[in-house]
Parts: sequence; structure tokens; C-alpha cells
Amino acid sequence: MTTKMDRRDFLKYAGLLSASASVPLLTPELLFAANGRRPDKIVVLVELKGGNDGFNTLVPFADELYYQYRPNIGIQQRHLLPLNDQVGMHPRMKALMPVWNSGKMAWIQGVGYPNPVLSHFRSMDIWNSASNANQVIEAGWLSRVLPNFKQGLHGVALNKGQAKLGPLYSSNMNAVTMQNPKTFLSQIKRINDVSPSRLNPAIAHVSQTQHQLFGVGTQLANKMGNRPARSGVRFSKGVLGHSLESVAEMILSGIDSPVYKVTQDGFDTHSGQRGAQDNALFQVAGGLASFQQAMQKAGLWNNVIVVTYSEFGRRVKENRGAGTDHGTASAHMVMGGRVRGGIYGRHPNLAQLDQNGNVQHTTDFRAIYGTLAQRWWNQPNPWKGAPLIPFV
Amino acid sequence: MGKLGFEDARHLVSRTGIGSEWETIVRFQNLTRQQAISHLFNNQQMNMPALPQMSPWPKMVQLRGNMRRKKMIKRISRTEGKAIQKWWVKHLLDTKSPFLERMTLFWHNHFPSSIEKTTQASMLHKQNLMLRKNALGNFGQMLHNVARDPAMLLYLDGYVSTKEEPNENFARELLELFTIGLGQYHENDMREAARAFTGWGINEHNGLYRFNPQQHDSGVKTFLGKRGNFKGEDIINILLQHPKTAETIAKKMWREFINISNPDPRVINHWAATFRNSGYDIKTLLNQVLNSNEFWAPQNRGALIKSPIELTIGTLRTLPYTLRRVDLAHNLNIMGQGVFAHPSVKGWSGGKNWISTQSILRRNSMMTNLTAGNLNERKNRGGIASKMPDVSPEELHQWLLAIPPLQQMPTEPGKQRLTRAFVLDPAYQVT
Repeated sequence: MTTKMDRRDFLKYAGLLSASASVPLLTPELLFAANGRRPDKIVVLVELKGGNDGFNTLVPFADELYYQYRPNIGIQQRHLLPLNDQVGMHPRMKALMPVWNSGKMAWIQGVGYPNPVLSHFRSMDIWNSASNANQVIEAGWLSRVLPNFKQGLHGVALNKGQAKLGPLYSSNMNAVTMQNPKTFLSQIKRINDVSPSRLNPAIAHVSQTQHQLFGVGTQLANKMGNRPARSGVRFSKGVLGHSLESVAEMILSGIDSPVYKVTQDGFDTHSGQRGAQDNALFQVAGGLASFQQAMQKAGLWNNVIVVTYSEFGRRVKENRGAGTDHGTASAHMVMGGRVRGGIYGRHPNLAQLDQNGNVQHTTDFRAIYGTLAQRWWNQPNPWKGAPLIPFV
Repeated sequence: MGKLGFEDARHLVSRTGIGSEWETIVRFQNLTRQQAISHLFNNQQMNMPALPQMSPWPKMVQLRGNMRRKKMIKRISRTEGKAIQKWWVKHLLDTKSPFLERMTLFWHNHFPSSIEKTTQASMLHKQNLMLRKNALGNFGQMLHNVARDPAMLLYLDGYVSTKEEPNENFARELLELFTIGLGQYHENDMREAARAFTGWGINEHNGLYRFNPQQHDSGVKTFLGKRGNFKGEDIINILLQHPKTAETIAKKMWREFINISNPDPRVINHWAATFRNSGYDIKTLLNQVLNSNEFWAPQNRGALIKSPIELTIGTLRTLPYTLRRVDLAHNLNIMGQGVFAHPSVKGWSGGKNWISTQSILRRNSMMTNLTAGNLNERKNRGGIASKMPDVSPEELHQWLLAIPPLQQMPTEPGKQRLTRAFVLDPAYQVT
């Protein structure tokens, strides 16, 4: 087959294109993303995806109603890991007992928000953006704290498959998703920098993300390219264990991210809850225990806080499939070297359920965000309405 | 009306097909808009590749009854899930009616059922055939079919929903995602709908839909302001009378065919009205979408982000590249568009969500893999260039990119080199 493309044609064409294509700029945000040092205050967000059942996580064994509502899936007191004379941890979270015993783990009870939405997606949007139930905010809650806290990289979200930025999502933040740094580094070599285009929102998003990627890739290559730091701790083989191991390695390597987000799936337990949730909590406890050890070993335990969150809790009453349906308030955990351990917030009143059979929340979730902003990062609290919680 | 010409034909092909096959563009450029659209509608190939082996429901249902067999079910479903993914991916690569496949994917994304939750490949296969058969048919009919589709009954727990304990999973998503959308109903409407679907289940012996009157709540329900002794079918019919149902679909069409920004509400109202007035005839709606000013507007060219399927399978259908040592179905999983493997009942969010730092790396490494090879056309006997149509650099650009490239193009000559530069440019990620 003959071809019409001769050299003269081609050069004419290349010349024509060079007007529209331009050489990438080393923009300020790129420069910061490429360098930067490890912040001394890091938050690891653990997303419990699907709506974790708080009542079978931090079990209110002293509440008779709990057992009345859950004849099949309720966990007997003798199987629990007692934390005080009211509540006990799920037995499969045993790996975290040393952290509790060291006084570095806090539980916050009854976390939710007014006018709860029972849709996974909408409720997660609310948690991600710290909006009210009837309000749509696109940007993640961290975008109201972090850009003021530091320049450069703001967060890394890790997951197998497609990680979601969630609370890190915003056009004014520098955040990336990855499966793990190793894969990231092996693929980054083939990426060129591009200058962001504004032709239309689609190409603007593609080119902006690629530009950002290039900056973060440069930093990762510099700090982890040849000899990435190893934690020296064994992590479990699951997705969460793998993600947390990567987080530990990035922190040890001095990556300048103040936030890491990891995800454990499997909490949407409409049926057969005991098997499914037991396993998911086992993964969470195992992964976090290894992470704690890694940080302790590196002398960085005082520099990190781990926080769990989930779109909602679950209904008090178990359903016929030995599962639970979408609920409202749930218990969440905070741990770290500077955490003041203990039980915070009130256990929701199981005698006072709404028309859906759900409890009234006792702690607004934005109290946790506000506490992290003000008491951990020393930033103004954007959520004045919710009183801070002295867990740190 | 005049003939489409190359640029418009290319736009129509790349937006309605999977990739932009040269032969189709050449055929379409001499047709009028309406002729080309009719061609899309009439080209419906239903023959599928040979089926992989899949365990029948009666065998699986026995294992389900046994807690200790959980691992076995997992193992079987993982193997069979991979096989059925490959089955569809093969068809997406080979089909002669890409528009029909695109619409089947569209509905597969509107009514997701995953292998992970259902663990039943044989049912996903049947659901897939049902969606393809109705993909350009009637939405109302499809919705009724989906509600009693065994894979959906498994996916959203409808099969365990009983009079004493109605399971809310299906009713909730039916209202929130499949029809009227959040904000159009109260929790109570959802619970009443859940009651109406009680007793819907799966026949243990043949795996088909079965209604069990003993488990059906035949009491009076109040749903969206109506009272009656509603059955599941009645709930669906009430939802089909509600104007928001057509709007939900119209909005999804906007994101599929126009751009990634929020849809223009006036256009959506217009499309939704047409759709409802046609009794939910999907072709009528599509005809309006594909004839709209928005579809053809110059500012909407290149305003959509390619899905992983469009990017990878689309490239393989457009250019004579061959995929080396790569499991395509698996790669679609990790790029976020595994068929029968949606991240949630909301399906793939698409649009901006296709692109993250993570996915750019994967998309790029996939394209790099595809375009790798010796660029010296004399040494590699022309390489892919010898299998490509005889086009000038300008035509190649027009064919492969909807917008100008962002990166510097190579200064050395060579069609294979230039093709690779186009495919690796960020501009290739949009359509």
C-alpha cells in the first residue's frame, strides 16, 4: 500500500501542531508536590464501606434492649472484649486490645447527623463533604482545612481497583489515588507532564490530573524509587492490610502527605451479618494493629491519628436474613500516640427509635472533623456548630 | 438534509459505537444524519460467542444452603465470573453492531448485577441477553423484566423478602437509582414498596422467577400518595407514571452522549416528555438525543471522557494493533469498568470519575502496551501502517482525535509513529 505521508507533508503538519501544543510549565503546585517533607501531624482515614453496624462493633452489652432486638446476631457478653462495664469490642478486634490497654484508643458513640439519609451514596457524600443532609457540597471536607495547613501534597487515597478521593476531592487540593506506591512508580515512568488545557471540562480534568500526577510521581520516585523504606512489620494479606502497609512505607519514606485514606469493604450486611462483618472487622483490627506497630517502631506513633468513618450505622433490630438494614448513628474509633483513650459520646437510646426503627444520633460527625482541624492541625474549625471532643 | 461528511460521520460513529471504525465512518459520510441514525437502529446482531461452562442454579442453590460450602461457591463463582467477563469482552471486540452493545452496556450500568454478590454466572448471562434484547426496545418492559430477573433478585436480596420481613434493598434502589430518584419519595414510600415486592423469589428447581403468594403481603399499601392492595407490578406502573422516571433516564443519556457537565434542565425536560409520551420507547428518545443540537454542537466535541471499554476495546476496533500478553477483561476490572463487576448498585459513575491519578497510569500503560513496537516502517515491513487506510496526517488527526493534541507531535515522519503519538496524547482520552 502506498502512503500519502511524505517527509515534507509531515513537517508541515508538525509545525502546524506546535502552535497548539506547548511545553509544560513547572507550576508552583507542581514544585511543591515534587519536593516537600513529612508533616509531623498525619491523619489516616479508614473508610468502612457499606455502612458499619456500630452496635455489633462497640457492643452495648449492658443495654438489655440490644439483646431483645438482636436475638440471633447479638454478641453475648462473654464473647466480647470488655472496655468498661457498659461496652465491649467485637471479639474479632482482639488485635487492637494492646492499643486500648495502652490508653491510645478512643471510641466515639452515637456518631451521625440530623435528618439522616439512608442512601449509601448520598450519605457518603454527606460524610465526605461535611454538608447538612439537605445540602449538596461537591468538595471534600479536608479542602476546608488542608490548603491552609500546608502546600504541596494533601492526600493519598489507596485501594485495590479504583480508589476514591472522597474527603480529599476538591479542585483546590493536591491529592492522588493509587493501589500502592510500587505499582504507581512502575507506571509513572511512561507519563509525560502536560500543561493543563481549558478547552472543555473533560480535557481540563484529564490534563490537570496528569499534571498533578507528574508532580507527585517525581516526589515518590525521589524518595521511594530506589530503596523504599520497609516497615519491618508483617501486615495481613487483605486489601486493607496491603493498603496500610503502603501507607506505613510512604510515611517512613518521608512523603509529604498529611492524609492517607484506606478502605475496607464488606459492611453492607443486609443478610448473614455475623460472617461478613466479623471478617471485615478482623481485617480492620489486624491491619491497624500492624500499622500501629510499624509507627511505634519508627518512633512516629505520636505523629499519626487513625480515624474510622462509614456512611451510616445499621438498624437496631436485626432482620429475618440475620442481617441489618440501613441505619443512622454508629460508633467510630480514633487511635494514635497522642490520643486520649476512652469512651466518648453517649450510647444512643434504643428505646427511642424513629419511624424507620433507627436511633437518634448523639454526636455530630463534624465534631470529629472539627477536633482534627483545631486540636490536631491547629487550624480554625470550620464546623463551629458541633462541640469538640477531647480525644486529642 | 445534506450528507454527513467525514467530521460529522466520525463524531457519530465514535459517540455511538465502540471506537471509530474507518469503514463505518466512510459509509456514514455519504448518508444523511437520519439515514445514519436509522442504520444504527436497524443494525442489531444478537448472536453471541460460544458460552463458557456455568453451574446451573439447582446445583448452586444446594451449596448455598450449606454454610461450610461458602468457599466452594466463592471459588466456582470466581472462575465462572471470569469466564463470563471474557465472553462479553470478546463480543464487545468482535460485534458488528457496536451501538447495540453500547446501549446494552448502558442498561447494564443502569441495572447492575455483580458476580461478586450474585455468585451466579448463569443468571448474569440470562440477564445480559434480556438487556440486549430490550436495549433499543421499551424501557417500561425492561423495568418489569429487571424486577423479576433472577440475577437482580439475588443482587438486591429480593429473593429473601417476605411478608414478615420485607427486605428493603431492591425497593430502595428501584426508587433511588432506577426510576424517580432521591428527594421524590419518603422512607415510608420505600417501605411500602418493599412490602409490595414480598413473595418474589426464585424457583429452586429451574432458577426462574417464582411468585410465592404465601410470602406476599397482600395488605393495603400507601405509595406516593396512592392507596391500594398493590403488588410489585403496580408499584412499577406507578413509577412509570411519575415524570421523574423519564428525567432520570434523560439525564443519563446526556452523560452518555453530550458532555460531562450538568445537563441543561430545559433539554432534559424536553427529552423526558418525549420519552414518556412515547410510552418509554427507547429508540424515540435516542432519536431525539442523536438529532439534538447539543449532540452536534462543536463545543461538545471531545467533551466526554472515554470509558475504559471505549479506550481499550475502542482502540482495538479502530486500529490494527494487537494486544500482547494482557488479559483484557482483567484490565477492565482494574481500570474500573469490569463487566458484571460494578463497584456498587449505582454502577460506574463515569464522566470525571473515569480519570484519577491511578486510572491515568493504568490507561496510559495500556495504551503504551498497545502501541509498543518497532517504529521503523521499513524494517518492520510497514508495521500497523501497512494495515491502515491510506490517509494524510491531517486526516489521521481528524480520524483519531476530537480535539487538537496537547503534546508536541513527532518531527520524524512515519504514520505508525504519528498514530502512536495521537493515541498516547491526553486528547485521545476524550471523545
